[in-house]
Amino acid sequence: MSTATPVTGTNAHPIHPAHTPTGQLSFGAFFQGVNSSTIWRLPDSGDQVAWESFEALIRTAERGKFAAFFLGEGLRLREHRGVPFELDVAGRPDAQTLLAALAAITEKIGLVATQNTTYNDPVDLARRLQTLDLLSEGRAGWNIVTTDNAWTGENFRRGGYLDHADRYTHAEAFVEIAQQYWRGESISHDGAHYSVRAQGDLPRSAQGQPVLFQAGASPAGQDFAARTADVIFSPHGTLEAAVEFRRSIAERTVAAGRDANSVKILPGAEVVLAATEEEADEKVRWVRDLQVGPEQAIALLEQYWGRDLSAFDPEGPLPDVEPEVVESGVTRGAGFQFAQAQDLTRQWREEAAQKGQSILEFARVKAGSRRGTFTGSYDAVADRLTEFARLGAIDGLNITPWLIPSGLDDIVDHLIPRLQERGVYPADYAGSTLRENLGLGPR
Amino acid sequence: MSTMTDHPSIAARADAPGAPQNPPCGLPVLAVDLVTDPALLGGLADLARGLDKAGVGALTLSDGGLHPIQVAAHLAPLTRAIALLPRTDAVYVEPFHLATQLMSLDHISHGRAGWLLTAETDPAVPATVGRTTLDLAATSREAADVLEASRLVWDSWAEDAVVRDTVSGVYVDASRLQYADFEGETFSVRGPAITPRSPQGLIPVLLADTDRAAAGERVAAELADGRVLDLDVSTGTHLEAASDALATALAGEQGPVVRLVRLVGLDLEADPLGTVTQLAAALRDRGLIAAAPDAGQSLREQMGLPAAAHSNDPARRSDRARLTSKDLA
Repeated sequence: MSTATPVTGTNAHPIHPAHTPTGQLSFGAFFQGVNSSTIWRLPDSGDQVAWESFEALIRTAERGKFAAFFLGEGLRLREHRGVPFELDVAGRPDAQTLLAALAAITEKIGLVATQNTTYNDPVDLARRLQTLDLLSEGRAGWNIVTTDNAWTGENFRRGGYLDHADRYTHAEAFVEIAQQYWRGESISHDGAHYSVRAQGDLPRSAQGQPVLFQAGASPAGQDFAARTADVIFSPHGTLEAAVEFRRSIAERTVAAGRDANSVKILPGAEVVLAATEEEADEKVRWVRDLQVGPEQAIALLEQYWGRDLSAFDPEGPLPDVEPEVVESGVTRGAGFQFAQAQDLTRQWREEAAQKGQSILEFARVKAGSRRGTFTGSYDAVADRLTEFARLGAIDGLNITPWLIPSGLDDIVDHLIPRLQERGVYPADYAGSTLRENLGLGPR
Repeated sequence: MSTMTDHPSIAARADAPGAPQNPPCGLPVLAVDLVTDPALLGGLADLARGLDKAGVGALTLSDGGLHPIQVAAHLAPLTRAIALLPRTDAVYVEPFHLATQLMSLDHISHGRAGWLLTAETDPAVPATVGRTTLDLAATSREAADVLEASRLVWDSWAEDAVVRDTVSGVYVDASRLQYADFEGETFSVRGPAITPRSPQGLIPVLLADTDRAAAGERVAAELADGRVLDLDVSTGTHLEAASDALATALAGEQGPVVRLVRLVGLDLEADPLGTVTQLAAALRDRGLIAAAPDAGQSLREQMGLPAAAHSNDPARRSDRARLTSKDLA
């Protein structure tokens, strides 16, 4: 919890000489539809695929002047030990099909689709994104993701054709073709991965081109984002991490020949709020308990141990057995590499033993630590975010609600008014396009 | 697994209050064709709303630049009863994406989605995705493969796969999911879908006579759910003559059932709503087309197609990795 006193005005000493803090925040609402972050065990937890859930969520976000509504996507259903993963929410509508519909019931909020460069054709994807941009009158965004795993490729024509090392060169060629299409150019591309002939034949949208989002987590990903993206959203929950990340991105953006202010940083975040600090502490524990149950805690460890751990007591210490090599585990994109598994599991056992944590307690802390959580009383979180904004560490947050569809209610009703009072959150939309509402220049 | 008798849309039908006054009778559904030309975007929403209120059964969306599936999705929340059928290619596409997009349209429209299948023959299209142009026979085989793969993806989740069992901690029951495991001539699809089963389960797939040559006889006669007959209204509408022409066409038809009568060439400048309303009334008076749909009625119901229950194929079940060989025997 931050107890820092808010400073007034933006900081006189910018984090990076080429970066000028705006002192303003924009919010995105990040519907994940996967992972343990979304609680499904409560009576208030709505249907994860029903139109009514999305309608309610986006209306709340637009009431709160959120700049963007952001949909995740994964092109293969998650599996665990060779079977579709049963314990978390699963199953989403196609991102762009859903956003095209949501465009009809909203007016200002941006509509951002996560779309994969490895398993799409660039002209087809560019055309669909431009359709969304035209249907929404300039509110489309594209979260660019890449994957190299052959396991996802089993759903697609080319299978797993891409080497890990080629992910970003491939993605850059893909984005370049898309941008040619958006500019209405005649495309004649013969590269390492594509031979494409096409003509961009749709009119330009109100914002010129869709806004490009990128997670930008790894150094290679940061460089790719610095060269290509308008918005970066990997999570940085502490001020120190966010400041360091801003510095790194500003440096890389300048090195790529772009204005350091042309890349906005909206870290992925989870927000848990209550009227008082004590209630917020209690609430975040309650949220964690509901997010990660005993079965999920065991499953989390099984991902790294690569073996059946169902015989272990979730209330007991971490398993004292060695991890196993599971060949197929590497293809799952879950970050499991056996070479590291032995070290990692040993490290985790020591860490949990030192802190006296059970499997369940350990898994809840681990799962929560990935989310960039902002938790506290309404005022404390507002103060903390105000400090982030005035220092220029971030340009906003991309918030994953832990409950669908009511998970944005307290943010919109209690946090945003406080941020507006502190002068760091817009009273209304700045314009009608996503570019305008994120403070981005034209493309 | 669900059977016909416990399928909610069938069981609730007979005497539930607010049940449609028009039970399935097998008459073709009246559709109006709109072109997804970006220049027409400004008037599209109002026209779709008007046609929905006027009791037109369906909209078909022909590709005029904007992606037809997304335009259909955009119109879904603006309309209540009218079915939405994008006309899209089954050849130079990623089958998994296409299947996902269509089942998402079905979710968003609460069961009003259909697919007007075409098999692309324009050589400019394969060049946009870096593929070579297939000859006519290969085009037809590819269209059939993509249709079959799509249906396996659509059918990969049982109706009740999302169990939300707070006692066992299970959200989705893997034993109620199955792989598509489709192996075609040029591609394969593993599955299961990344989207839960859509309201109609299997989305109706229709084929216009004009697309029959490229899509091939297998799609036309064996795989598609029915035919689309066109009624050209571009030279003005003489109600009597149009009704006679349709009656003659329907009477002379053999083979696949005509499920859709599509008005093409509607003049959007000259009171399109009035034209369609009059024509619909005239055709309904003669008993040539189905009655106006009710809000909440699925396209399958409008067209008199039976509900599509999950196929539940044990050989495809996606939890088999944790079963012993004894369980599977």
